[in-house]
Amino acid sequence: MDVSVANLSKPRRRLLGLLAGLLLVAVATAPLLHVRSEVTGVTPALVLILPGIIAGFIGGRVAGLVSAGAAVLVLDLMFIEPYGTLDVHVTDDLVALITFAAVAFSVASLVEVATDRRRAAEQRAAQILALSEEKERFRREQERLSVEKQALEQIEDARRALLRSVSHDLRTPLATIRAITSDLRDGTAYDASTRDELLDLVGDEAERLDRLVANLLSMSRIESGALHPDVQAVDLDELVTEGRRRLGRVLRDVKLDAVLPADLPLVDADYTLLDQVLTNLVENAVRHTPPGGTIRVEAAVADGMVELAVIDQGSGVPPSERDWVFEPFNRGDASRSSGLGLAICKAIVEAHGGRIWVDDTAGGHGARFAFTVPVHQARIEAAT
Amino acid sequence: MNTPERDREDGDGSLILVVDDEPPITRALGAALGARGYKTAIANNGEQALKLAALQDPAAVILDLGLPDLDGIEVLRRIRGWSEVPVIVLTAEGAEDRKVRALDDGADDYVTKPFSTPELLARLRVALRHRRRGGQVELDSPVHEVGDLRIDVAHRTVEVEGRAVELTPKEFAFLALLARHAGKVLTHRMILQEVWGPEYGTESEYLRVYASQLRKKLAEDPSRPRLITEPGVGYRLIARN
Repeated sequence: MDVSVANLSKPRRRLLGLLAGLLLVAVATAPLLHVRSEVTGVTPALVLILPGIIAGFIGGRVAGLVSAGAAVLVLDLMFIEPYGTLDVHVTDDLVALITFAAVAFSVASLVEVATDRRRAAEQRAAQILALSEEKERFRREQERLSVEKQALEQIEDARRALLRSVSHDLRTPLATIRAITSDLRDGTAYDASTRDELLDLVGDEAERLDRLVANLLSMSRIESGALHPDVQAVDLDELVTEGRRRLGRVLRDVKLDAVLPADLPLVDADYTLLDQVLTNLVENAVRHTPPGGTIRVEAAVADGMVELAVIDQGSGVPPSERDWVFEPFNRGDASRSSGLGLAICKAIVEAHGGRIWVDDTAGGHGARFAFTVPVHQARIEAAT
Repeated sequence: MNTPERDREDGDGSLILVVDDEPPITRALGAALGARGYKTAIANNGEQALKLAALQDPAAVILDLGLPDLDGIEVLRRIRGWSEVPVIVLTAEGAEDRKVRALDDGADDYVTKPFSTPELLARLRVALRHRRRGGQVELDSPVHEVGDLRIDVAHRTVEVEGRAVELTPKEFAFLALLARHAGKVLTHRMILQEVWGPEYGTESEYLRVYASQLRKKLAEDPSRPRLITEPGVGYRLIARN
């Protein structure tokens, strides 16, 4: 009852207390009337003090005082002779009545003070609980925001890294080209072989820029979801031979050893995109192979896919970094790469329904980057 | 900008240490320096640079600030710990704070990548010339001639193409300081501390005002300026040709 009463508004509580007080006065009076002649005046006085207390407890001071007033009236009317009037003839009775009234009124109002205090304490406890819940909610919200902030900062960092990386990579070949052309333009007298070497450097760096720009374009196509392979039958042998010719200058200081089986089937792929995968893998292999070393290209068929592998003679990729190297902008130790190439390979290979991975070479030296592409499905019209 | 004959005069077999992690750049610079009579030593990283700088005692160092192992500025600081060898740093576009830091930490000059080789060589010659004259003699010289500009420190007079120009004391001090280091970039901080006093250093807006007044008084032709603004870095006085 206490809880439900506490939930009521103050006027309602007052009304309820008042009703309870008056009802109790009435309820207590009825049995007392029956035994009026058998008990002293003390019994009704003691019993009738209760409604005031209870009404005060429920409905506050006003309810308590009114109920106490009703009790005083009833006591005087019903239990102090002459019955049925407010007159009091005996001094003892008058003293008793006044004492009763004083006690009833003070108790009724004291009850409210105590009840108010208790209510206030309960309210404070509830407020503290609510505050601590609020605080907990704030803490959780703060945690969530800080996680979100961290994620945003990571994106921002990645974007900054991209910009740094791309501008560095674009500028590096440009620096060589500008240094050499400005020097030649200045009329510096070089012997023929130095001059050729310098012009070759300009050519190399221009090609490097070209490959980087191709990678950047692919990356933006991949990011915007616009990478749609134009699938046709591709001869891997032709792709590798053509790639070797085009990468001639990159391969100046290393040997490329391509051993493709004579009966290797055609694959279903976008020639230009597949060429980009091979170019990036070979370029990556050249970067990690010491001058004079050999890069091997192998191919084999398994489960309707052709697996093409590029094997270098570098220091290999530790197992912990084998997934990570395909993430964009993770350039390895001071490498001359934007960190874009392998990420682009992964996106292109996956767009063809294949997969790409890196593991150890059979001998344990260097890395073996391999990817799969589907074997060409002969079209019906071609078969008939 | 300069004729090859003039370049070759400057070379005289001095050893230049080139520090860059990009083999194509070091090859290109090696060839350009070789053609002008310099010898070169190449370092591809910071540690190697410090070793070669100590062992080979180069006449000058061309130092790329973006090295794989050590920060280029750290390499510069360590070299400055024991050597006054001229150092020209190569930096990326837009890294003004790095340029200023390198200059304040003792670099003689900087060139922004991608750079023109003749320009780099011109900066190298200026740095070598300043160092060869031992600095002190030049600093005390009473008259500085920078192209058609003649600054007489003793008499506090300035002539442009033979015509006298009236300058306020601060304008004079600013111009004389740049003339004393003709061809070299001086950072805002260097100029402020030298002309205004050691408690200055960040008031680069003063310099903009004085530079603009100086340009007016020197009747600068914007297409052939003598007083060059190095944005975000400082100022440089060059001979107008």
